[in-house]
Amino acid sequence: MLKKRSQFVFWLFLIPILFAFLMVVIIPFFLGIFYSLTNWSSSARLGATLDFVGLTNFIESLKDPSFIYSFLLTCVYTTLNILAINAVSFGLALLVTSAIKGRNIYRVGFFLPNLIGGLILGYIWQFIFNNAIPTLGEVLKLPFLSNPKNLILASRNASVVALVIVGTWQYAGYIMMIYVAALESVPVELLEAARIDGASGLQRLRNITIPMVAQAFTITVFLTLVNSFKQFDVNVSLTAGGPSTIFMGKPMNGTELLALDIYNTAFVSNNLAQGQARAFLFFVVLVLISVVQVRAGKKREVEL
Amino acid sequence: MRRISLIMVGLLAMAALFANGCKLWEKDVIVLAQGKPEIDGQLKAYAAAWAEENGVEVVIKSCGGGNCDLGQQLKADYAAGEMPDIFAINGLEDYLEWQAIAADLSDEAWVDKTDVAFVHNGKTFGFPVSIEGWGLAYNADILAEAGVDPKSLVNLSGYREAFAKIDSMKEQLGLDSVVSMAAGTEMFWVTTHHNLNSLLSNGLQYGDTSVVDQLLAGQVDSKRLSEYVDWVELLFQYADKAILTTGNYDAQVGAFATGKAAFLHQGNWTDPNMADANATFEMAFAPHGSMEAVTDGIFVSAPSFYLVNVESANAELAKKFLVDLATTSAGANYIVKEAKMIPAFTNITLNPDGQLSSSVQDWMSQGKVYSWNQYLFSAEFRDKTLAPIYNQFANDQIDKARFIQLLTEAFQNR
Repeated sequence: MLKKRSQFVFWLFLIPILFAFLMVVIIPFFLGIFYSLTNWSSSARLGATLDFVGLTNFIESLKDPSFIYSFLLTCVYTTLNILAINAVSFGLALLVTSAIKGRNIYRVGFFLPNLIGGLILGYIWQFIFNNAIPTLGEVLKLPFLSNPKNLILASRNASVVALVIVGTWQYAGYIMMIYVAALESVPVELLEAARIDGASGLQRLRNITIPMVAQAFTITVFLTLVNSFKQFDVNVSLTAGGPSTIFMGKPMNGTELLALDIYNTAFVSNNLAQGQARAFLFFVVLVLISVVQVRAGKKREVEL
Repeated sequence: MRRISLIMVGLLAMAALFANGCKLWEKDVIVLAQGKPEIDGQLKAYAAAWAEENGVEVVIKSCGGGNCDLGQQLKADYAAGEMPDIFAINGLEDYLEWQAIAADLSDEAWVDKTDVAFVHNGKTFGFPVSIEGWGLAYNADILAEAGVDPKSLVNLSGYREAFAKIDSMKEQLGLDSVVSMAAGTEMFWVTTHHNLNSLLSNGLQYGDTSVVDQLLAGQVDSKRLSEYVDWVELLFQYADKAILTTGNYDAQVGAFATGKAAFLHQGNWTDPNMADANATFEMAFAPHGSMEAVTDGIFVSAPSFYLVNVESANAELAKKFLVDLATTSAGANYIVKEAKMIPAFTNITLNPDGQLSSSVQDWMSQGKVYSWNQYLFSAEFRDKTLAPIYNQFANDQIDKARFIQLLTEAFQNR
């Protein structure tokens, strides 16, 4: 009787969250898959009906050079971003867990950019790249910086790097916090024993600290991977997808990441169903990559 | 058990009363969705006064500018079954999206008082919100100082001469560049929503779509195109490179408003920006010189139209709202004095204050106007296909021949 009752309470407490999860995740997810197989437009075109079109949306997406380009670009961006964010945040974490003065202030300071919304952050950095840096070049008499030909956001490759810089600036503090927690849980005895045995700082880092925080690496790489793959707000506000480039003989936006490409397909091209199809492909790829990454990461973890 | 069913019946009855009976004690509501956040306050004030007078309620939803897209919002509303009673569109492409629910407004009292209503297949569907226009805005003081007569700015050779002359006197005139032009990714609309129209309608009779029809059929008039590309090249060549490639709206308009550029490639909607920047110099519009032949006129049209949702329960009320907006003195006062727009109706005699708006009215009164044909191409084609081509040219990634080739291919393979 008691067991039955506690079961009832268990489900009772779960109902609100289950209801919310069902309404905003599960149902929209399957509706989305359904719509991606139709010609849905959510508008009142004359004589428009909701027709089942099979895999047309998927096939057309895979044939579209701008989708292929966005996909490749997103892979490049994600790789660069994972490397940059993790290198910077691990370095910062080592710094703020060392005996440096005022390390608590540093922790807060490095974390702070994460609290600013991505859109605002993008506009701030756009101002820095477009106005602050050229002005600095004029003041310091560095014509390289002030020459409009060298504007960072006017070149495709430099713009991708700019996206990585801003992404790192925004996210490194957050990842740093995870590393800090991991670094602080590394047993002091191990490090002390190694020091007595005469291991150098670098040796201690490579042979003790890094294996001990491998668990954190699995999490941080996963987080940065998913986050970089889904990058949208900074992309919109910093570069808006530009400058342009030519890919497979077709001029197109040069820094349009996948999320922005999906958005533009849905709302600029007025093709909601195809946008939905691309979003589904995006989901599948992201799940596959994440699963592979977490599996690979788990193998490296060391348990004490 | 009986008690429970009694309660259920009671609840159902209450629910039914709430669902159907709202009107018993609530006013009729009309919802208007529009895309100009800058006139949101003024429109709300006018709508509130009108609602008070008519014993109804009017809700204004403004969605536009950088952070909201009206077309997208309307789709969300439509999917949610909350389509507004009155909503704004930009032109044919938008109209086609909503054709099935657009009310026929041909018999409304304002139809014979305007030339710029949205007409499709001989029937009037769209109420013109205002009139806007653009040519190449010039700083008359600078032109006078440089000894350039604005009347000479009517074709390519006139502009070539004027730009070269002003460019050679830049230091003396305190200029950074001759013309303030933008072609960055964010500013795609300056090239593909405005500049492109020089190719489509410059020099043609108002409403003549022959060039567009040819291009839509994939036929490119290479002479017209190459003259137009000369014009684009001229604008890009004499522009401030930083503003051209990465500048935003504020940077582009600011350069002109502060006297750092003699010309501005924008329309009369920049009047409030000029007032904000305390720009006191004399300014007006000159025609676009996109052809060797003289084209003596600027591009003028209604930029957006209100459609009435035919499925709305309050469609008649919505129509009355539009009639009153066009025909009452309160409506005229709102359009011209409050929202500072150029009225689209001949019965309104008030004049807007801005210099550029006055210039548009001047050109109109002389009948020297060309139409806006850019909306006959889809947003997808202009924003996703053409805009990157202009951007490539502005960034010096491609040369002029390649620019012409890419444009030609884009029109042929559209």
